Amino acid sequence: MTKNETVIDVKNITKKFKIYMDKGSQLKERLLFRKRNRYEEREVLKGISFQVKKGEAVGLIGHNGCGKSTTLKLLTKIMYPDSGEIIMKGRISSLIELGAGFHPDMSGRENIYTNASIFGLTKKEIDARLDEIIAFSELEEFIDNPVRTYSSGMYMRLAFSVAINVDADILLIDEILAVGDTNFQTKCFNRLRELKAKGMTIIIVTHDLATIEKFCDRCVWINNGLIVHEGRSDEVVDAYLNFMNQKKVESETAPPEENSEPVTEEPQPENNDITDNNEIDYSANRFGLKYVEIKKAEMLNSENKNVRIFRTGERLSLKIHYHVNKPLDEYVFGFGFYTPEGECLYGNNTQLDRIKVNTEKTDGVVSVIIGNLPLLAGKYVLNVAVVDSDGTPMDFYRNYCEFEVVSESRNMGYFSIEHEWRI
Amino acid sequence: MKTLKEIYDYRQMIFSLVKKDLRGRYKGSVLGFMWTFINPLLQLVVYTVVFSLILRTDIERYYLYLFVALIPWIFFSASLTGGSASIVAQKDLVKKIYFPRQVIPISYVTSSFVNMLLSFIVVFIVIIFSGEGINPLAVLCLPVIMIVEYMLALGTALIASAVTVYFRDLEHILGIVTMAWMYMTPIMYDKSIVPERLLPLFNLNPMTHIIGCYRDVLYYKTVPQLSGLLSSFILGTVFLVAGHFLFLKLQRHFAEEL
Repeated sequence: MTKNETVIDVKNITKKFKIYMDKGSQLKERLLFRKRNRYEEREVLKGISFQVKKGEAVGLIGHNGCGKSTTLKLLTKIMYPDSGEIIMKGRISSLIELGAGFHPDMSGRENIYTNASIFGLTKKEIDARLDEIIAFSELEEFIDNPVRTYSSGMYMRLAFSVAINVDADILLIDEILAVGDTNFQTKCFNRLRELKAKGMTIIIVTHDLATIEKFCDRCVWINNGLIVHEGRSDEVVDAYLNFMNQKKVESETAPPEENSEPVTEEPQPENNDITDNNEIDYSANRFGLKYVEIKKAEMLNSENKNVRIFRTGERLSLKIHYHVNKPLDEYVFGFGFYTPEGECLYGNNTQLDRIKVNTEKTDGVVSVIIGNLPLLAGKYVLNVAVVDSDGTPMDFYRNYCEFEVVSESRNMGYFSIEHEWRI
Repeated sequence: MKTLKEIYDYRQMIFSLVKKDLRGRYKGSVLGFMWTFINPLLQLVVYTVVFSLILRTDIERYYLYLFVALIPWIFFSASLTGGSASIVAQKDLVKKIYFPRQVIPISYVTSSFVNMLLSFIVVFIVIIFSGEGINPLAVLCLPVIMIVEYMLALGTALIASAVTVYFRDLEHILGIVTMAWMYMTPIMYDKSIVPERLLPLFNLNPMTHIIGCYRDVLYYKTVPQLSGLLSSFILGTVFLVAGHFLFLKLQRHFAEEL
């Protein structure tokens, strides 16, 4: 086989599953409740075509239930497509189920024979690979002990070593690279790279996008049984992340009014009697003299919807609704972004920004607009507060609510910092 | 043809499944693998006691008469009932890994077959030690009879295992069917006592000829009428071919049905 030869050719495959409402597989049930054997047909794959060339590593991505695992099962011939055709050239090995057919009472060595035979190896072929398999698993001392005495890490190492030493032309991998400790994982990846360099074709299904980007030349993104995008891994992963973020934002947009309630549900003691700031309990989630009260705080996204999820770079406006019980000369409004662990990432108030707020109204709104939210992907906590000009808390809300930021950017840390590389 | 080659490529899997089954059968027992021999030997003792002291028959050495027929029958009925459940029993493998699915019923039938061969060792020991002697020429026919029975057993097991995936009751139905089938085959009695009008039915039964041949060789010490075996051979071939194609068709949806 020469390079550039197509070894996997998937031609417009479809697959339907019958989802039984109430499945009766016994004769009695079949005869008596014929009508009860209702089922829904769910079309998991609606016509997928792609090709893979020899020596390529291709990743399949998509959210749960999109059909990527079904595609892999069709490739392994565990299942067959309803229509369409799959042409594969060469010996196929799959890392879908590790340690298939392992017998706990048999020794590691015997299990290598059983397991490798399930991949279609003959005794001669296994004999030839035995030393390599044992060496790769790093289980030399334990290889003649029964497998039931192995730790789960050892078990997986043995299973992986067999599967990876089958010498297939095509290797199909499903979400199982989380094997053993980090060292062993690195070893597995190095081995996969070696095999790939030797011309092995690899297909990976995983949620771990970093793996896909690092390892795969190409990537196929499947959504609702159709290929959305196919191409260079980084491009497809970017497009996929973008789409997933959009979806997440949409599904969490427009939360009902309850969602805008503070996170802390316990009734706050009415501190109306407190007049002296010495009596303020600073350790509470909400504290202050309540001369001014925060009724609620809204976080609006660029579409002016009150949400708890934003994208990096999006416009965020924070609206603090307040009610005055006892007028003051000056009000100082503040907000802060915290990590869920309680570390302050950013905090500011009107006084620090040299803005004087004095109002005659008993009810009003103060807004602060962040044109370009610099927070990176993660979960954050919002604090809001109103104090007087001396800093005495009037209404100080810790953990007012949590919110989430999603981002396509893979920068690390909390903030995006503008930068430019020059080489 | 491609399928047959693939099954051949997976011969090591068949071999290791058979080995696992034979070794696992008496796993954990004190005598272990010895049970494979002790079990038929003790059965033989029971039959001898029962049929020479209590249920006396006109047939000479009835225990041997019965035993040389019962062992092949047990192989066939185990292949049919156990074979029918074999794929369902291995559903974890079938759902997760690709291999030619025929490997499972083939392994099951083969391990029952090996078990029968091991039981025959006991039979031969008994025959020789009891001074009955054997007819070497007749014994040479034994492999042919065994191959015909193996074909028949494998054909039916292929069909039963594939259909059971879709229709689980079959396993239990077959339990009754094999029981009735046993009484409809001259195992415990002689074919000569079968009423004339039922004879055509008995002649249709491929096991009638197979059991008859075993008995000819081991009990009557004569070279069997292989022509009687011909119809069994034809039927075995038909079952095997039909089973093969039916299995090929049905196995496409195994992973979804299990």
